[in-house]
Amino acid sequence: MNLLFVGWDHHAAPLDLRERLAFTPEKVREALDGLFQEHILSEGAIVSTCNRAEIYGMSDLEDGLDALAGFFSRFHRVDDALLRRTALSGHGDATVRHLFRVAAGLDSMVLGEAQILGQIREAHRLATAAGTVRTVTNRLFMSALECGKRVRAETALGQKPTSVAGLALLLAGRIFESLKDRRVLLIGAGETAELTARLLAADGVSEILVANRSHENGEALAAAIRGRAVRWEDRARAAAAVDLVLSATNATEPVLTAGALRTALHGAPRRGPLLVLDLAVPRDVEPEVGELSDVYRYDLDSLQEMAAVNARARAGEVPHAEAIVEESVRRFQEWWGGLLQGDVVRGLREKLESIRRAELEKHAGKLAALDPSARAAVERLTETLVAHILHDPTVGLKGGDGSERLERAAAVRALFRLDERPK
Amino acid sequence: MTEAAQLASTLGWVALVAYALSSVLYTTSLFRTAASIGRSATAFAILGAVCNFGTLYARSLALHTVPYRDLLGSMKLFGFFLAVLNIVLELRHRDRSLGPFLMPVALVFLLFAVVQTTPVHKDAPELKGPVFALHVTLNMLAYAAFAVACALSLLYVVVGRSLKKRAFTGPASRLPSLSYLERANRTSLFLGILSLSVGVLLGLFWASRMWRGEHPLWALDPKIWFALATLAFYVFVLVRAHRGAAPVSTARLSIAGFVLVLLSYTAVNLLVSKLHDFTS
Repeated sequence: MNLLFVGWDHHAAPLDLRERLAFTPEKVREALDGLFQEHILSEGAIVSTCNRAEIYGMSDLEDGLDALAGFFSRFHRVDDALLRRTALSGHGDATVRHLFRVAAGLDSMVLGEAQILGQIREAHRLATAAGTVRTVTNRLFMSALECGKRVRAETALGQKPTSVAGLALLLAGRIFESLKDRRVLLIGAGETAELTARLLAADGVSEILVANRSHENGEALAAAIRGRAVRWEDRARAAAAVDLVLSATNATEPVLTAGALRTALHGAPRRGPLLVLDLAVPRDVEPEVGELSDVYRYDLDSLQEMAAVNARARAGEVPHAEAIVEESVRRFQEWWGGLLQGDVVRGLREKLESIRRAELEKHAGKLAALDPSARAAVERLTETLVAHILHDPTVGLKGGDGSERLERAAAVRALFRLDERPK
Repeated sequence: MTEAAQLASTLGWVALVAYALSSVLYTTSLFRTAASIGRSATAFAILGAVCNFGTLYARSLALHTVPYRDLLGSMKLFGFFLAVLNIVLELRHRDRSLGPFLMPVALVFLLFAVVQTTPVHKDAPELKGPVFALHVTLNMLAYAAFAVACALSLLYVVVGRSLKKRAFTGPASRLPSLSYLERANRTSLFLGILSLSVGVLLGLFWASRMWRGEHPLWALDPKIWFALATLAFYVFVLVRAHRGAAPVSTARLSIAGFVLVLLSYTAVNLLVSKLHDFTS
């Protein structure tokens, strides 16, 4: 009985292969059903993200890893040799450590990213719905989620954003107490502007204005994000009236100049600072805009500079995160060790024997009144009683397939409180 | 020295040590992220404020009047208000960044007041009564509020500069947001203006009754005109801010305003004003 995993991630598998190996929720169900029908796994779950497709589970097969790779080759109709060449796999502790590192964000393309925890939770949910999660995978995934949460709570690994959207929010956080009730101007109606606008809208900004050279396209985006379109020629005036300007056009010349903004700011009294994010290449906003009083301008270069600083800060947190992963792996090992059949039987015998001895000692006074042969008979009687009680559970623990045996072992440990120290 | 005066002195020293420790810990917390440092800074600030209040109370028992009828007593009150405003703002906004600026000022004021102990004169009947007490209390509260506005403005300038220079790490990156600093600055200015207005009015009322006979030209006292000029300056700054002036210019004017407050409190009191020289 082996705990194992096989996966294809961004380290070894190219993007086009990962695209072919991606699982929709329906495909997850289908694959798990297939793995059970072919008796490759007795329990399991599939983690599928844009950067990885990995299956974790328990197998009775000697060559479980080979069988899994072969199954996925057939399932995704991908060349078997290519899959084996690019696969990452392991069993036992390596499986546990790998999933825990994934959950901690240590194996992610962007170190410490937080979305992976939700994706692991979703993998667990889908496998539970498919009925393929049992004792070990359940414990494995729950422990992985706990490990991931601990890493995020106890280290700064996930606290330093490196994505453009995350950095934009971080900068906004240093300038504004919150984005709630703030007004935003989008210059441009492209994909970048739209994505960032949606993120800002989710943070509670009160109004989003859209200025686009094609007013129709601007109106379309404004309608999509519940904003308001303003005329292209009014963009500087609109910029002076909002708290945050986000520019992402394809223009080859600056679309927001220092002169125009200075004039607009002079004519429009305002109370707070103005954050200007220029996400365009070539730049949309003249660098001199950043020299205006209370105007804070950042372009992609400065955001990349921030990202590099944050990436270094995150890297500094890796040893701390790895230590948490190792501690979590150790805890899982302790739990796993407790499920080994010999340990459970021994534990059960010791527990019953201690009860037998305690009862004999309790009645030692009355037993002392008996003659030696009667006392020996009582001793034998209690020993036989314990042996009979132990017989059926011992046989039962050896029956069934691997996962069933582990489930029974876990049940016996819980029912007889074998993990508690004797009083 | 009476028992109450002895107690006032002892509590003053304890408050001084607590303020000193709090100042060191607050400043350290700018560079170290350990939560225990910040918590200890707050605890010492609270201990200091309690002892500062205790020393004022014991002094009032010794004097049989308000404990801040002279310059040193008012300095103790100023230190107390600074510590209290720092604690209130910290607990309200869960932010300790004002501590490194406010607590050292509170420490310096208390240090002068504790070290420069003057003999206690019980026979100063004119420096008694609720009007005088309120006049001094409100003026000290106003000065403390202007000190807080100055600290917030300094932070605004520091944070603004660090953002302009793209300094994404270091102590400045842990300071509060610009909009909070700007809003809190306006609130502090408003509190200061309100307190100073009422305090000055009460002072004028009190002076018109107490000084009319002995000092017929009391209204020409430079301290009064300096206080009115300070008040007018702060009203100008706040009105300007509400009418949409750039926050950074409000911050700079707020810092300049506190220089006026310090001048009014020290040079004008000690060197220019004859009627407000309460050093003895």
